[in-house]
Amino acid sequence: MNAVLDAMENGTISRRVWFYANYHCNLECSYCLTESSPRAPRRQLDHSLMKSLTRQAADLGFTEVGVTGGETFLDLALPATLAEMSESVPVIVLTNGTLFAGDRLERLAPMLGRQISMQISLDSANPDLNDMARGPENFAKVVESIPRLINAGHRVRIASTGQAPDEESQEALCTLHRSLGISDDDHVVRPIVRRGRGATFDGSVPAGPDELFPELTITADGAFWSPFAPTVSNDHVDTDLLVSRTVEPLSVPAQRLVALAQGRPVGSDVANNIR
Amino acid sequence: MTARVSFITANQAPVSARHLFAGGDPGPLVSSWAQVPEMLDVTLPFVGMIMGASSVSVRHKELVILRTSALMQCRFCINAHTEVAVDVGLNELEIRALRGELAVGDVFAMPSEIALLRWIDAVATGRGAVADDIATAFAGHFQDHEVVEVTMLIGATLMLNRYASALQLPNSAESIDRLQQAGYETALTNQGAIA
Repeated sequence: MNAVLDAMENGTISRRVWFYANYHCNLECSYCLTESSPRAPRRQLDHSLMKSLTRQAADLGFTEVGVTGGETFLDLALPATLAEMSESVPVIVLTNGTLFAGDRLERLAPMLGRQISMQISLDSANPDLNDMARGPENFAKVVESIPRLINAGHRVRIASTGQAPDEESQEALCTLHRSLGISDDDHVVRPIVRRGRGATFDGSVPAGPDELFPELTITADGAFWSPFAPTVSNDHVDTDLLVSRTVEPLSVPAQRLVALAQGRPVGSDVANNIR
Repeated sequence: MTARVSFITANQAPVSARHLFAGGDPGPLVSSWAQVPEMLDVTLPFVGMIMGASSVSVRHKELVILRTSALMQCRFCINAHTEVAVDVGLNELEIRALRGELAVGDVFAMPSEIALLRWIDAVATGRGAVADDIATAFAGHFQDHEVVEVTMLIGATLMLNRYASALQLPNSAESIDRLQQAGYETALTNQGAIA
């Protein structure tokens, strides 16, 4: 396993492992990498597998786990699973933030006091522009949800996806996230990636092995190069960045990713900010 | 006949397999194995070594592959290796005998090749141990390392026969056209009795 640890230490691969918990979603965003929607096949990753792989990740030297989807919190059992995963390494879970009212908020209780942060998507300070990509009333639901989560004790980050905003739009977005209680350090901006529904977007950035930093990503369909890799095109999971169908033991895809990644210029993805 | 598995195309080829698609369609075996890149990584070199140049002559290898494929009624492999057999210099009678259209005993006369063919037939279609007389005759013409290679080649061919038949892998249109122009049946699935 030293090769995997060495690769993390010398920056060849990321120290974070990603899991695609599921592919279905209550939204249907126009640039979605995974063609997610309420009708999308779920492709759910078994929770016991996620927990087992997280323990293996820690043993291999990975220092963080990310959980993404789909809308991850459509699975009501996820909070308890995240809590258990966070006993091994810190966990970041990506969500659209539209499901956290009433009982749904209370169901997040197992996550409290754990090393778990939630990353919520919010693309613009302009509700119309935000909702154009993410769906009606998304903006309103998210700006209501974030303070509610923070007040409940959850750590929240914001991710904004889209073409590089002009200075005015960027400032408006930052003013908004600060007003919601999110610091600049917890706000990430990333481009639309030219995969999935984003493949036809003007201004989207290419995302192949030359552009994507290798971050081991586990899905129900196998292990992939990066969380931007197991995308869906015309209802089929893309295989161009498939590392292996084998996901357990985690050392198998980890070692393959290292072998594939060796020789890539370190940091070659930074220009696109798609880590 | 439609294949029972989808094939990876060049633009969907996994990173580790891209080089195999760089020169065009690598064929249905590679295009289907690419569904599982970690399996492809080890299967292709294995098959390449077993079927490629080695201490066993190319002629003997084609005797093994075409004969085994005919016994297993693997349309894909029979067609593919009829072409190879032509290319490596087997004559039409030999090819038709190996394909089961003629009795091999009427075509092959060299004692070593008769022994080889009997060994192939016994290993490919038998159950349990091979009869002593067949094994003794075979060992009388081939050294141990050749026995190992030939027997592994029979086994690998059986694996490929069942894989290609079960998944209904297609031969290329060019291949079918070439065989038909040479007068070979390309849709056959039945082969005659062992001579």
